[in-house]
Amino acid sequence: MSPLIGGLQKTTNYRVVLPFYIYASFGFLLGTCLLLFSTEAVGAHYFNPHTLAITHTMALAWGTMIIFGASHQLLPVLVEGKLDSDPLAYLTFAFTAVGIPFLVYGFYVFDMGLPLQLGAILINIGVICYLANVLASSFNKNSKNVHAWYVITATLWLFATTFFGLLLVLNFRTPILSKNSVEYLSVHAHLGIVGWFLLMVIGVGSRLIPMFLISKYTNDKVLWLVFALLNGALIGFLLVYFADLSTMLLYIPILMGLIAILLFGRHCYKAYKARIRKSIDPQVKTSLISVAQMLLPFLALIATLVLLPGGQSPEIAILYGFCIFFGWLTAIILGMTFKTMPFIIWNKVYHNQAHKGRTPTPKEIFNNSIYNVMLYSYLGGFIIFILGILLFNQILLKGGALALLIAAILYVYNVMITACHKSKQNEYPNE
Amino acid sequence: MNIQTNDIVKCNYALHDLYNVYDPEIGLNIVDLGLVYELHFDEVDHKLLCMMTLTTQFCPMGDAITRDTYNSLVKSYPGWEVTVSLTFDPAWDLSMLSDDGKAFLGR
Repeated sequence: MSPLIGGLQKTTNYRVVLPFYIYASFGFLLGTCLLLFSTEAVGAHYFNPHTLAITHTMALAWGTMIIFGASHQLLPVLVEGKLDSDPLAYLTFAFTAVGIPFLVYGFYVFDMGLPLQLGAILINIGVICYLANVLASSFNKNSKNVHAWYVITATLWLFATTFFGLLLVLNFRTPILSKNSVEYLSVHAHLGIVGWFLLMVIGVGSRLIPMFLISKYTNDKVLWLVFALLNGALIGFLLVYFADLSTMLLYIPILMGLIAILLFGRHCYKAYKARIRKSIDPQVKTSLISVAQMLLPFLALIATLVLLPGGQSPEIAILYGFCIFFGWLTAIILGMTFKTMPFIIWNKVYHNQAHKGRTPTPKEIFNNSIYNVMLYSYLGGFIIFILGILLFNQILLKGGALALLIAAILYVYNVMITACHKSKQNEYPNE
Repeated sequence: MNIQTNDIVKCNYALHDLYNVYDPEIGLNIVDLGLVYELHFDEVDHKLLCMMTLTTQFCPMGDAITRDTYNSLVKSYPGWEVTVSLTFDPAWDLSMLSDDGKAFLGR
């Protein structure tokens, strides 16, 4: 151990983080498989077994699990402290990893009984473990920065989402809410989409994107404003819904969310312009594309509000969900996976072999050519599937879903070769 | 590149090895990046203090880079007591890059 003076961020044990990444990669694969075999659900109401199964696979097995993994790794960077408890992180993984298949199976076969209820309960226990770990890690430090508040608030919204989801599941069998569970789906969905995913992605992205661009740009005032706008938009949406106010008022939270996204986009652009390294690797480019993709769901949402009251175009609601889960969320994960995971593996494999000869750089740990093919397949599939939804064309839907499945297979392959990376003796000529 | 030192000869000898310490993310050595602020040699007690920084306080490779720096200095000065100290005052910026570093980063 080198005698070091001065503060240095402590990295999280790779054993905590890797299971989440590997699980999430198979979650993405499952989500794209289900999409390929369920394209007929596009013309139907969004409350149908296959759409619910796909949505929860993408939201939980893919998005949430990888955010859990990355945030356990990045929590020291975000809260400027250290992860409070490794055992809590293991418990988070164990409960959610077991709970998600039950939940997805329950939705797929439309069994609102034991599988769905057990899955929802296990996921909630996992989320409580995660919440406890985030709070304990954050409150170990006296001063909390804007990024820490994003993480804390997003995690609280996540708990609100999963707990409300559990109530909806129980409400299917035993009425405990005043309305049918289907009536509350948009509340449940937006707690998760805005409260959990959007806040978390912006909170983490606003620190990571400038860091990976090697940019000195920072603007906490704008980040606080985005934070206030997003939370205000979500609370406003809940008020409109639960106080039975006019749906016209929904445009206010939508406008607030749109301003927040535009401000975050401007923040990323300024970080991009102030970058010290001119060339940008494909992973950061993918993440920047995802920032632009954030605008698509807003267009779909406005179209939903305009068209859905008359029931003219139910597929627009599907388009909205697709743009979120297969659009910006997937794009930022595809990019950030191969910025964060190679570091974790590099630190695991080469941490104690520093200065013993040439070691590969983190970007040499995964296959960049396969990454590029995966990216083109993903972008092609995303665009083709959107065209399929808009034109309601099964050939385009199948073609788009197939391209997304190919992207998922390549993603899993790259994740696995990264996770299984070992040092080679001949890389250390000085030994 | 403007490294403070009390012994230019010993400093240059140490730099010879430090040029092989890379920031794995950027792919550039820490000398051309301007991460090394000071090398102080205590001839009497055989102590070597390296004051350095990172491109960001939250650098995920910070531990690896400082460890690599320590190993490099121990290799250059076996038997010396080496200490690597991190500072973020002043924070690293573009002006600290050497000309080679600027060319590498396309500046």
